[in-house]
Amino acid sequence: MTKNVVTILDTGETYGCAREENLLDAMVRLGRKGIPSGCHGGGCGVCKIHIVDGTWRGKTMSREHVSSDEEARGIVLACRAYPSSDVTLKVLGKMKKAVCRERKYGLV
Amino acid sequence: MGVMRIGHINLRVLDMDAALDHYENTMGLSRTDTDADGNVYLKCWDEWDKYSVILTEADTAGMNSIAFKVEKDADLDAFKKRITDYGVAVTDMPPGEMNACGRAIRFTLPSGHDMRLYAEKEFLGKAVGTLNPEPWPDETKGVKAHWLDHALLMCELNPEKGVNKVAENTKFMSEVLDFHLGEQVLVGPDGDIQAATWMFRTSTPHDIAFVGGPKMGLHHCAFFLDEWSDVLKAADIMAKRKVKIDVTPQRHGITRGSTIYFFDPSGNRNETFAGLGYLAQPDMPPITWTEENLWRGIFYHTGEEAGEFTSVYT
Repeated sequence: MTKNVVTILDTGETYGCAREENLLDAMVRLGRKGIPSGCHGGGCGVCKIHIVDGTWRGKTMSREHVSSDEEARGIVLACRAYPSSDVTLKVLGKMKKAVCRERKYGLV
Repeated sequence: MGVMRIGHINLRVLDMDAALDHYENTMGLSRTDTDADGNVYLKCWDEWDKYSVILTEADTAGMNSIAFKVEKDADLDAFKKRITDYGVAVTDMPPGEMNACGRAIRFTLPSGHDMRLYAEKEFLGKAVGTLNPEPWPDETKGVKAHWLDHALLMCELNPEKGVNKVAENTKFMSEVLDFHLGEQVLVGPDGDIQAATWMFRTSTPHDIAFVGGPKMGLHHCAFFLDEWSDVLKAADIMAKRKVKIDVTPQRHGITRGSTIYFFDPSGNRNETFAGLGYLAQPDMPPITWTEENLWRGIFYHTGEEAGEFTSVYT
């Protein structure tokens, strides 16, 4: 099975992802890091990315987190994007929070 | 008199077919109705009312509303008065506005969540019946969830701006709906900020919980299993069916339940919760967890935060 090469610009990380796999599952399965991993169902929005190069097929994702305009510009949830070519992406949103969390009150 | 238990939860799902495959074939609920708007109603085998889960197809995930069942019809009038006197607006819902239910009242919790109270819902019966029943039915699928057990709602908590919807909800549920505080987490420099609470009306440690976060939402809804061995088998079934598991089988310090957290296909977190914890009673002194032991309370074995447990929700 040929795999498309996914490049995360923020970290320089690369990994393989088949057309039938979404960008997040493939990364997590290989133990790689970079895109925040949440619900894997298009609902929670933490895996929001910008695909700056490459083509993909998208499944339904929550409009609370990605507008249709954004989706048309390649801003998607990684768990709902299936690559049909090599893909280069940037991580959006909560990346920073996932790496250096600051909590003053236990939960927030 | 008063609130008896959680009655149902209305979840938004992104893909109805995928959601039904999850709630029917993984969780073991059965479909009992579909209304003209396409909402699908499901019940667990050990429940007797017509449904405990309503699935609504939408373009976002999360919870639309949560409903509790009260014992007597007159309770609805008493609660309407108490809620209104507290300063919260109440809307009457005529019989049938909530499918297969009698009249109901709806209002918004201080946190912004839509809550309803009702006294009657169409009776269908447990899968094993009531005359010389077997302990469990043969035909139930997947993890064979017994009943919808509780829900955890995320509430805005921003102490620096003076916002604490956990504390506001807890006060409302206690003073107006007669819920009892089972356990709480207190945080902050003086250990006086109520960051999470677990409240009950039944005899189990919680029927609803509130946890502080950046914004309101649904953290999870939980389905009851008997015991630890059922939890382990449920995890096997989820792995077989490629369900995204968030937290593998664990014990909670808070409530003492044994648990698995996982996501439905739209990213709504579910839990299978086993064990009755302890006998919760109105005169039981509430249990307090301090900030430094918060994660031991949530995940007793590891005592560590698991993944994005408090920042990932719908």
